[in-house]
Amino acid sequence: MPKQYRLLYDENLCIGCQACSVACRVENSVPDNFFRLQVHVQTKGVFPNLGMSYERLSCMMCENPPCVSVCPTHASFQSKDGLVHIDEKTCITCKYCILACPYHARFVNPLKNVVEKCTFCYDTRVSKELLPACVSTCPTEALSFGDMRQKGSLVEQKSQKEVLVFPKAHLGTKPKVAFIPSRKGVKV
Amino acid sequence: MSPMWGSVEQYSTIHWSWAIAIYLFLAGLSSGSIIVALLVKWNRHERSNSSIWDAMIKAGAVVAPTAIFLGLFLLVIDLGRPFSFYWLLVRYNITSVMSLGVLFLLIYTPIVVVFMLLVFERNVIKHPILAPLEGLINLVKSFHSYAKIIEYFLFVAALCVGSYTGFLLSALYAIPLWNSPLLPVLFLTSSLSSGVAVNILIGLLFFKSTINTESIKYLLVLDTRVILTELPLLALFFIGMFYAGGDAPQAARMALTEGFWAGIFWLGVIGVGLGLPLLTVIVALRSHVYRVGYIIINSMVVILGVLMLRYYIIYAGQIYLG
Ligand code: SF4
Ligand code: SF4
Repeated sequence: MPKQYRLLYDENLCIGCQACSVACRVENSVPDNFFRLQVHVQTKGVFPNLGMSYERLSCMMCENPPCVSVCPTHASFQSKDGLVHIDEKTCITCKYCILACPYHARFVNPLKNVVEKCTFCYDTRVSKELLPACVSTCPTEALSFGDMRQKGSLVEQKSQKEVLVFPKAHLGTKPKVAFIPSRKGVKV
Repeated sequence: MSPMWGSVEQYSTIHWSWAIAIYLFLAGLSSGSIIVALLVKWNRHERSNSSIWDAMIKAGAVVAPTAIFLGLFLLVIDLGRPFSFYWLLVRYNITSVMSLGVLFLLIYTPIVVVFMLLVFERNVIKHPILAPLEGLINLVKSFHSYAKIIEYFLFVAALCVGSYTGFLLSALYAIPLWNSPLLPVLFLTSSLSSGVAVNILIGLLFFKSTINTESIKYLLVLDTRVILTELPLLALFFIGMFYAGGDAPQAARMALTEGFWAGIFWLGVIGVGLGLPLLTVIVALRSHVYRVGYIIINSMVVILGVLMLRYYIIYAGQIYLG
């Protein structure tokens, strides 16, 4: 049965330490100055009502991925588990998908001259029943990952309990990465 | 101070740059000039004897294949992996406008070459190097009775090539300045404009002996109409963005007011590309001073304006995301 993966990013637990980003670089040999994953931290509000806002920038593994529908060679494709991957052999690096992605998730790897992005560490970890590198590294357990079809799993339980935000939901891309927004809020 | 998450350069890179802007321009120029040549042939060319082709038709027959080949060359070298381009020809994704474009170009380019061979039949036969092409010409001529159908086919293919580049950009809803249904129409009209200008320019410079002033007047009137269509189209294009949701209004505001590219828009696209030609028409041409100098400069100005429109759309689109 196909999986229904979801990655949850809990803003309440994130401390902006960037351990996930570093783990991703190491796991996937991401070249210098390029990123499959960044966590942007911003101070919001007016003193003394300050607060941090966190934003995860990575591939959202869209259910309706515009990067796949524009790719002229099917190099960007969706697997039967619904994950979006890139076939390095048939990618001609036309960069059409990079422009199509509303989340700026893709970049050209200058060493290999092909387009890359977060893969949920599918090849090296998830397909071997391991968690993505970022998830297993996060010191505060702000990240959780799993199959939504598996009732009672952490992701499934958290998804039931919390209010979820799907980035740029109005675009209809149906991301598989969801945010649990900060409950504290910031007075602006 | 650098942000703690590292370089953010990849979030603001210009992925499609000058090569794509020029390709969009050349594809438009090619399709525009062949459309204009066909229009002249159908509406202005009384004698169907192919030995006395009108200079406008000759110009189209030279410009259209040259421009499209140059454009395709740029398009391929701009790929990160130019030598893998054959995948475009092997695998097609019908939901991708790029794949559709490849199909249109595969139909369009050979017909345009054949059209050129027919127009310059005599020159081709004269040259010993080109002699092997004679067989091809004779083959094509044996279909002479279908000429009109083939011309209609070429016309439609040119319309597809002239407008698909607009769809190529408008399909991307991540980029507010591109994601407009008016973009293909805008590109097509400005292609026609550049087609008129380039045919007049090349015709006047290289095929003077076969110039037909009637067809030049016809084209200048056509161009004035096209420019007068383009101005309201551009207005609608931005008005549409201001009423659209999401990041579009903000992107439109920035694209019209901020920095270098706003300058290119007002001075280059509106001022030089549309305003100046209109002024020329009103001042010089209305009083029937069809002076060659004026017409040549006017043509160059129109072409420059169309080129700047492509540059503006390509760059401003990627910079002003709202
Ligand atoms: S986030 Fe971007 S790259 Fe990832 S699936 Fe969605 S559109 Fe494609
Ligand atoms: S860059 Fe590669 S993956 Fe992206 S659209 Fe082009 S061929 Fe497809």
